[in-house]
Amino acid sequence: MIRLLLISFFLLQLISCKSYQIDDATVKENSIQEFKNPYFDNPEIDYVYKAQIEVYGNKLGGIFVAKKISDSIHRVVFTTEFGNKLMDFELSDNDFKVNYVLEELDRKMILNTLEEDFRLLLKVNHQVNQSFENSSFNIFKSNSNHKFIYFFVNKNSNSLTKLVSATKHKEKVVFEFESKNTTFAEIIKINHKNIKLKIELNQITN
Amino acid sequence: MKIKFFTILFSFTVSIGFAQEQKMSNSEILNFKNEVTKETKNIKSLKTDFVQYKHMDFLSKDIETSGKMVFKAPNLLNWQYTKPYQYSIVFKNNKIYINDQGNKSTVDAKSKMFEKINKLIVGSVSGNMFDDNEFTITYFKTKDYNIAKLFPKTATIKKYIKEVNLFFPENESTVSQVKLIEPSGDYTKIVFKNKQVNAKIDDSAFTN
Repeated sequence: MIRLLLISFFLLQLISCKSYQIDDATVKENSIQEFKNPYFDNPEIDYVYKAQIEVYGNKLGGIFVAKKISDSIHRVVFTTEFGNKLMDFELSDNDFKVNYVLEELDRKMILNTLEEDFRLLLKVNHQVNQSFENSSFNIFKSNSNHKFIYFFVNKNSNSLTKLVSATKHKEKVVFEFESKNTTFAEIIKINHKNIKLKIELNQITN
Repeated sequence: MKIKFFTILFSFTVSIGFAQEQKMSNSEILNFKNEVTKETKNIKSLKTDFVQYKHMDFLSKDIETSGKMVFKAPNLLNWQYTKPYQYSIVFKNNKIYINDQGNKSTVDAKSKMFEKINKLIVGSVSGNMFDDNEFTITYFKTKDYNIAKLFPKTATIKKYIKEVNLFFPENESTVSQVKLIEPSGDYTKIVFKNKQVNAKIDDSAFTN
């Protein structure tokens, strides 16, 4: 019995130590040096979405707004349907400024998680450290602070359809994009793998 | 010459600004309050369409949403957005029922909190907010409107709201427009249309 437990334990260890790999992907040489995420890059556009958040089984909704307010800074606001602000941030590659946060949401863990998510979502220019491809995607890998970001660009539509933030071994956050014209994502799904947090954004048009 | 021109133009604009919004006299305030209080006492139900404009200075366009609101005295309320998405919130039996595009949830409203929200929404539409201990109120008039400006007294509300402006069309005792101004200066403006007072409303209107 103990032996079985030990074997299962080691097996489990082996499996969980497997490094993060993309299905059927092969390394591609001489690829691009920089990848540009096009979805929040236009300073002329107010990016407005209906948001649905599911956190540890609790669901809440609201309006998510993002706008590029300078070359390096995005403003991000989250309000309720009634319009009152829950959060208001400004963020760039290195800075994160909280303009406002509702007292009940002013928790370090919440703010750190959102800062990380929004930076992944909004950051435009990424250095490419390695490129891969499989039958469906061109994949660009960017190294960032002990983490790795993978951009999956669909070979047919040429649009960014998935962004994965991973450690050496496993996925941490997966972003999925649905885009009709390759520069604007109508639907964005953010799915955390290590905490029970899902965010879905659907574009609002009047 | 140019400077003089601009000075004149500027003072002209400023004086128009002042002419547009005048403080009510004490007797005008008394009259206005009496009218509104008298009318709102008779409100058994209210039904209205609304358009909501969320203004944030950094955006190039206000975010526009619209829908309808139904209220039945003493405390049934359905606030429903129909464009550009479906979202409704019903206040009933001390509970808040939310239907967010088919995702349904229920929140137990702590009675005091529930009362406050209910009172704020119903008061905003009907205009009956004058006896509230929560606000300091000042009164203005323009050619078209009587305006009540509410400034919160308590620190809790001050954190969210700097000022609430209620616009009553001249000779009307219910509100046609509400403006909720945040401490940052950004605001939410709600404009009511097709208002019906005391129309017959079935209780099924408060199921979402």
